Parts: sequence; C-alpha cells; structure tokens
Amino acid sequence: MNRPRLAIVGLTACSGCQLSLLNCEAELPLLLGQVQFELFPLACSPVLMAEEYDAALVEGCCTTAHEAELLRELRSRSRLLIALGTCAVWGGVATLCNDTPRQLLREQVYGPQPPSDDGLPQPLSAYVTVDACLTGCPPEKHELLALLADLLRGNLPPGGVSPVCSDCRMRENLCLLQERDQLCLGPLTLGGCGARCPSMGVACEGCRGPAPEANLAEAMTVYQQKGFDEQTVTARLHRFCPEWRHG
Amino acid sequence: MAKLRTINQMARVEGHGRIRLEQQAGRVVGARIELYESMRLFEALVVGRRYDEIADIVCRICSICSTVHKVAALQAVERALNLSVSQQTELLRQLAVQGGQIESHALHLFCLALPDYLGCGGFPELAQRAPAELKRGLEIKALGNRIQELVGGRAIHPFNLLLGGLGSIPTADSLTLLADQLQELLPAALATIELAATLEESLPALPPLPGCAATDGPSLFGERLATTDGQQITACEAYAWLDERLVDYSHAKVSRFSEHGPYLAGPLARLNLHAPLEPSAQAALHRYAPRLLGAPLTACHLARAIELLQAIERAMVLCSQLLQNGLQPEQAGSVQPRAGSGTTLIEAPRGLLLHQYCFNADGRCTAAQVVTPTAINQGAMAAMLTALVEKLPDAAPDAFKLQAERLIRCFDPCISCAVH
Repeated sequence: MNRPRLAIVGLTACSGCQLSLLNCEAELPLLLGQVQFELFPLACSPVLMAEEYDAALVEGCCTTAHEAELLRELRSRSRLLIALGTCAVWGGVATLCNDTPRQLLREQVYGPQPPSDDGLPQPLSAYVTVDACLTGCPPEKHELLALLADLLRGNLPPGGVSPVCSDCRMRENLCLLQERDQLCLGPLTLGGCGARCPSMGVACEGCRGPAPEANLAEAMTVYQQKGFDEQTVTARLHRFCPEWRHG
Repeated sequence: MAKLRTINQMARVEGHGRIRLEQQAGRVVGARIELYESMRLFEALVVGRRYDEIADIVCRICSICSTVHKVAALQAVERALNLSVSQQTELLRQLAVQGGQIESHALHLFCLALPDYLGCGGFPELAQRAPAELKRGLEIKALGNRIQELVGGRAIHPFNLLLGGLGSIPTADSLTLLADQLQELLPAALATIELAATLEESLPALPPLPGCAATDGPSLFGERLATTDGQQITACEAYAWLDERLVDYSHAKVSRFSEHGPYLAGPLARLNLHAPLEPSAQAALHRYAPRLLGAPLTACHLARAIELLQAIERAMVLCSQLLQNGLQPEQAGSVQPRAGSGTTLIEAPRGLLLHQYCFNADGRCTAAQVVTPTAINQGAMAAMLTALVEKLPDAAPDAFKLQAERLIRCFDPCISCAVH
C-alpha cells in the first residue's frame, strides 16, 4: 500500500494542533511507516509545495491574503483538505473580537500607525471546501490518530454528534452546572474529549465549538436560572466560535 | 499541472518567519529575519474581558509555551487583584512550568535542532539515521508532557491551573510515580548533555552576546530582570525598560532595552546569570563552564541540554517537597474585583517572558502587555546575522541562507509567541 502523502500546515494559530501530532511520542516512529510527512514546516525541511497531496491537514484560521493564497493552493493540490482544530473549524480565539473594527484592535497593540496587512480571521470554510473537521483546542491525540487511521483506510472521520455532557455522564462526574452552579458549557459543546475539564472539576469552556444539536435557547434558560446573564454566557460562548451556527 | 514550489518560510521553528537576503553582484551583503506571522492581537483581545478569563485566553498565544503563559498570566492577574495562593499551588505551578521546559527543550534538541547536525531534514529521517537518539528524545519529551497533563490537565493549554488555585490536586500516588519516572530519565538526560557537547558546529565563530533573564526566584521564576552587564530592573519597571517599538519588517515589536543591549534571552543567558541549579546540573555546568560562560550563541544546545537535566532534577525536588508536605485538598479563594495592575516576570523555555495587566474596579481588563523571549531576541538575531555576513563574505546566497537558518534555530524561535 502506498503511504498517504500529507501536508501539515499552520495558518493563524498557536501550532498546538500540529504539536498534538508531535506529542504522540509513542506512536510517531510507527506512523512513519504508514504516512509520509511531505510538507510539515514546523518539523521538517525543506519547505516545498509538492504537486499533489493525498490530504492536507490545516491548522488555524485564515487572516491574511498570503494565508488565503496558501490555503487555496493547498486545496487545489490536495485530494482531501481537513480542518485541524477549533481555529480552522470555527475560527477560535483569534476571532474573539471580530465584531470590533480591526483597525481599532491593531492600534491598541501597535499604536497609531499599525501594520494593516491582515483581514478578519475566519475559519477555513469561508475560503475553501473542507472535507472533514477535527475540532478541539487542541484536538485530542486519540482523535488525531484515528483521523490518520481513517485516511489510511480511505475513510473520513465520522464527526461527533453528542455534547460534552454525554462524556460527563459516561464518567459519572458531578454536574458542575446543576450541582455546583458553575458556568459550564458542556451542554452546548461538541463532545469526544472525554469531558476532560469537568472530570477535573473545571467547567467546560467550550473549546470544541457547538454540538450539532445544541439547544442554546433551553441552555440559556438554565444558565439564567443559575444566575448567569445572557451577556456573560454569550461572551463565554464566543471565546472559540464567533457564530453559533447550530440546530 | 501545478509545479513543485518553494515556500519562503523557515522550517523547524514554531510559527512563520523568513530570512531575507540583501545581495550585491551575487554576494550576500545583508540578512534579516522577518517574523511575518499574522497579527494575533492578543493584547487587544483581552481588553474588556473579566479577570477570570484572561489566562484562559492568553495561554492560546502559543502551544509549546502554553503552560508558562498560563502561569505568568495567573500570577500577574492575582497580583493585580491582591489574591494570594497557597504554597501547594505555587509548588504545583512550578512543577507544571518545569514540565513545559522539559517538553520544549526535548522537542528543540531532538526534533528541530539535531537534524541540522546529522545532515537531515527532520524526525522522519532521524528515525532512520539516529533511531536511538530520537527515541530517547521522545521519551524525555513525553515525560515533560506527562507532568503538564498531571498538573495542568492537558499538555497543551492546561485548564487545571486556575486563578487562586487548581481544579484538582494530583494524588500522592501519581506524584510518587512521576518522581520514579523522572529518576529513571536521569541517565537519558546525562547522555543528552554528552550528545550536545559532541555536536560538530559548522557555523563560524560568532561574538558572544550579553544576556538577560528573570532572577531572584526559584528555578525559572523571578522578581527582577538582570543582565550579564550589570543592569538590574524591577518587575514593574521592566516593561518600560524593555521599550518595545514597531518596525516595518516584523509583526513582533522589537525591544530597545533603553539604549542598552541587544541582549540574548534563553538557556545560555540563564546559565550565564547564575540561574539556580540542582546538584547534577551544577556539576555539568562546572564541567563545561569554559564552553558556556561568556560563550557565543552556538553554545546554546549544550546550555539547553544542561537545562533539560536541571528541569528533571528540579521536578523531582518539587515532587518530593509536595509529598513531604502532604497533598491537601484546597478551594480557590473567592475574588473581589478591584482596580489595579500586576506584572509577572518568568522564564519561558526560550527566555524572559513578561505579562502585565491592568483592571478597573469591575475587574475588567483595561490594558495588557506581553513581552516574549523571541520578540526580545530579535535584536540579538539581527546582530548575529550581521556577524554571519561578515564571517561568510564569499558564501553563495543559497548556502548562506542555510547557515542563517541554522543560526536562527539556535535561538529556538517561537514566532507565535513573538507576534502574539
């Protein structure tokens, strides 16, 4: 069997999704027999764009014209393009202030004459067709390995449906929202992380983006009963996903 | 059909940077590192946010350094709110930061830098040419991540580190197991120092640089900024002293160091500023002192390897202190918002890191400043590239560029951090 040729590339992000792959320390040597890391600037030189790839795994949101060009080029050279992580799938923290004029934000950081060679950070789907998504800030290592296994079998990852709450129930955790009155986004957030945060007593911050059937209206009623106003809940929801496209 | 195409981006560094050459008649007469990473604007993104959201957001500046960003932000916010934490929380935070140091140093030494010295492109070729070294490096790296997972809940973007405390306290059993695993890794850490000491350097001899680091605290923590040429700056004066300015070739601001410097931040600078060391690391420093103290940048890999041993030893000490004290369940104290500001100086794997936040009476952030080691190192990078141009007057542009990239990799740049 030919080893799939992969491009692993980061746009506007923290490199955490790519690092998650390098954090598969035990599996990394084994993976080398299964896939080819043809373009992976974070870990391999030279940085050469090949004629074609079996799959491009792209981390980060798209912010600059340079990134948009790179993304389109990867799309045209890759059989599959996979959005890797919350920034690529939903926008992520970079999109936190997308409703504030960009120039104001730039001035706040760089002073009265800031550089201006960027645009509004957006998820990859705003620019290209995305074949599959792997969400999470960062994605779970086991999901990343499962994605590579899917690619080897010629499949795409099925994509999750259940919220973090389901994972929490499976682990028989105390409910931080109902029993501890914490602003936990578990009911609305796509699961698959094994309820990593609530399992350690920390409220879900929604880093995996909306679950497909999230009932925001119903959840908002519960949050308000617990004393959280809509503004606070909305601000927290928008930390990783500027537009709650659900339902 | 689309063609093979070179992308002008440095490889085996975190983030997006490129080296631009200035040529005259086919010869390189100048070189510059350009950090063209897209503007992240984190210092603006947190303005208006509540005190308890700041650290969760800013740790997303960078994945490799997420634990140290989280701890720096938590400490700065706690200072602004006059919130104290227990000794247990302090020790656990220190442990998490050492975990990040281990992971980052192992990643750089074995995956990013070592290929330069073995004539290959990255870990896939290393797995063929030096499988034992790669395996050892990955084992050390995995344990750094294990520490971050145990204390922070996750290797990247640790969520268990909270304002005023932790979500869950690790069990005594898990810390005992961790201490054993660290002990087992000591021979691998010593072998890494030997490996770093025997790497054959192809870069020409470069002039040494003065260093800067946070000092006066436990390992990697500090209250003051000190330089090897005798500057001493308090934490609250540090931001003004670093004096960052916008330049037209980088999205990362460049420090002017109040007309001093440029200074090198990172492992070599820390060792030259007498960072506290545990016994084995101290012995290793003593053994290699002539190659490290007052040494040029190319000693950085040896310095990083000694720091790897130091981080492992220090993590063992922290485990044993925590076990000796007995692990106590604790609740993070309640927070009363108030107007104020707080600054933290800390040592990230790549060097001095500053976080500074101001809050209004409602506990909303009104201003944020983050100064990162790679941003600080831009001046030193420029000085070293200029020196390289002088040392390699006859190099062809392509050959020069390879050496220049190798030189820049000695800084282990983290460009997401630099631009933030």
